[in-house]
Amino acid sequence: MFYREVGQFKTSYAADQAIFPIRQDRIGLALILLVAFVAIPLLGGEFLIASVMIPFLILALAAIGLNILIGYTGLISLGTAAFMGVGAYACYKLSTLFPQVNILVWILTSGFIACAVGVVFGLPSLRIKGFYLAIATLAAQFFLQWCFGRVGWLYNYNPSGAIEVPGHSLFGVAVTGPSATPVTRYYVVLCIVVAMTWIASNLVHGRIGRNWMAVRDMDIAAQLMGIRLLPAKLLAFAVSSFYAGVAGALMVFIWLGAAEPEAFNINLSFLLLFMVIIGGLGSLLGSFFGAALIHILPIIVRAAPNALGLSVGSATVEHLTYVITGALIIFFLIVEPHGLARLWQIGKQKLRAWPFPY
Amino acid sequence: MSGGEILLDVEHVSLAFGGVRAINDVSFNIARGEIRAIIGPNGAGKTSMLNVINGFYHPQHGRISFHGKTRARMKPYEAASQGIARTFQNVALFKGMTTLDNILTGRSLKMRRNLFWQMLRHGPALAEEIEHRKFCEEIIDFLEIEHIRKAPVGTLPYGLQKRVELGRALAMEPTLLLLDEPMAGMNLEEKQDMSRFIVDVNQHFGTTIALIEHDIGVVMDLSDRIVVLEYGHKIADGTPDEVKSDQKVIDAYLGVAH
Ligand SMILES: Nc1ncnc2c1ncn2[C@@H]1O[C@H](COP(=O)(O)OP(=O)(O)O)[C@@H](O)[C@H]1O
Ligand SMILES: [Mg+2]
Repeated sequence: MFYREVGQFKTSYAADQAIFPIRQDRIGLALILLVAFVAIPLLGGEFLIASVMIPFLILALAAIGLNILIGYTGLISLGTAAFMGVGAYACYKLSTLFPQVNILVWILTSGFIACAVGVVFGLPSLRIKGFYLAIATLAAQFFLQWCFGRVGWLYNYNPSGAIEVPGHSLFGVAVTGPSATPVTRYYVVLCIVVAMTWIASNLVHGRIGRNWMAVRDMDIAAQLMGIRLLPAKLLAFAVSSFYAGVAGALMVFIWLGAAEPEAFNINLSFLLLFMVIIGGLGSLLGSFFGAALIHILPIIVRAAPNALGLSVGSATVEHLTYVITGALIIFFLIVEPHGLARLWQIGKQKLRAWPFPY
Repeated sequence: MSGGEILLDVEHVSLAFGGVRAINDVSFNIARGEIRAIIGPNGAGKTSMLNVINGFYHPQHGRISFHGKTRARMKPYEAASQGIARTFQNVALFKGMTTLDNILTGRSLKMRRNLFWQMLRHGPALAEEIEHRKFCEEIIDFLEIEHIRKAPVGTLPYGLQKRVELGRALAMEPTLLLLDEPMAGMNLEEKQDMSRFIVDVNQHFGTTIALIEHDIGVVMDLSDRIVVLEYGHKIADGTPDEVKSDQKVIDAYLGVAH
């Protein structure tokens, strides 16, 4: 293990302003991308790709959106699932009204529609903060979810009340609907998530990200730096809802294939909140850690008895999953309240100093 | 250095919080290029005066002119864009950010690249980022805080936090710098460092400074002119020598143990 920066002197501020200034981090990132783009599609089974990776990536994307709001700008939101729903329903409407248009265009457009709705519900954030803002976003959650269930136009008056994704293809390859293969769907999600993570990383490392964090840490002083609070907060709501909207559209179109209003209920909002808090507030990497912990951990726990050759009733497994996942979440929060991302950073710091303990 | 062009003119300003009259009909001015001290016992209204100057509080009476332009109501971010920077009595840094990021925040108004370029962080956006990084590095060198460049400011000792806060204000390249008790809670050595920085900023960058400070020795040494407040009233205004020999000041402020 040679994780250290010895011999890597930054000779310019350009090199030091880079997002990954240490070479080993860049190599690590390249390896992860290699695994994601090559190894998993080649070697992974259908279960790994369709039930583990696709949901994980989509949840991580939504968590990044929420993290921009809570972790970077300090604005609490309990309405993420509703903004995901806006993306999903917008994409459904657009793609059924204009089926000939490229589905990727509609997925991104849905992001912008969610973004507009998010800005409207973000308006109160200038006047209210903390718990009160959380309540305002909770209102968005219930109001929007009510719309998904009651406004027939949104679900094309489908008697079941659900939205069902028709098949779409891209350059002759099916990307949505029953004929789309898991690998194709995985690549669509992966490309979108990688691109949007890259953009989020650029944003939070530049002027806009610093302005958000300034508003989060001390809004009075932020104003003195010339930062206008309302535009800064609304931009955070806009970007955050865009990410949620795209994640919502992907969730229905690429992951589930169909959804009822219940898919976007408050539970999902809380789940995303857990991911962000456990992964690490104000850390993009943490959003991935959080999504992995909350989504993948239960899968492992569920599979464990079988793998160990134990015969346990499926109901018991389900209960055990809840208990163990819950216990692990509490454990991680106690070990490192700043989230898994901080734990990761401390680990790297130790490695840098290795083999000397100080 | 005083006697030059008037940069800031405060005329008959009164400010009340409900029944509490924090400032009572106070007038004074700050000339371009001077160090202007504002002194007075606790609760005299010094901090409130700075808050009026940079737009946090809106006085019930009176007028304020900056650069010859009189304003009715100004928002803090407008004050910032006109070149007024400020440090706080109780450090108001962005605790979760590094020293460097705190100081870079001071460049926010000078950075022009829009959302699109910020998303790409290439070309003009990166060039801009690096250009401002260079500027901030000069401030970091000047304040001798190179060693804490990448440290989260929340973990720094108080004296260094005050220094970072000064750095953040300097990054704005202000015309007028308001310093609210920059040496409070510092030991002698730290006070000497801070005094040196204040004089250097004033002389090398030509920044006009309004300084609130309790250490009379420091005030007498540094400032060109002093305004003395007591219970929201102005009781004296003049050079250090004039103020020192003013009977009202001796009675009200310098005389009493404090
Ligand atoms: N936001 C506020 N609300 C109510 N009273 C205030 C407020 N800010 C200052 N005051 C009052 O105004 C007076 C002057 O306070 P301040 O300007 O902080 O004095 P100084 O900085 O000279 O110690 C004090 O009596 C203080 O209690
Ligand atoms: Mg004060």
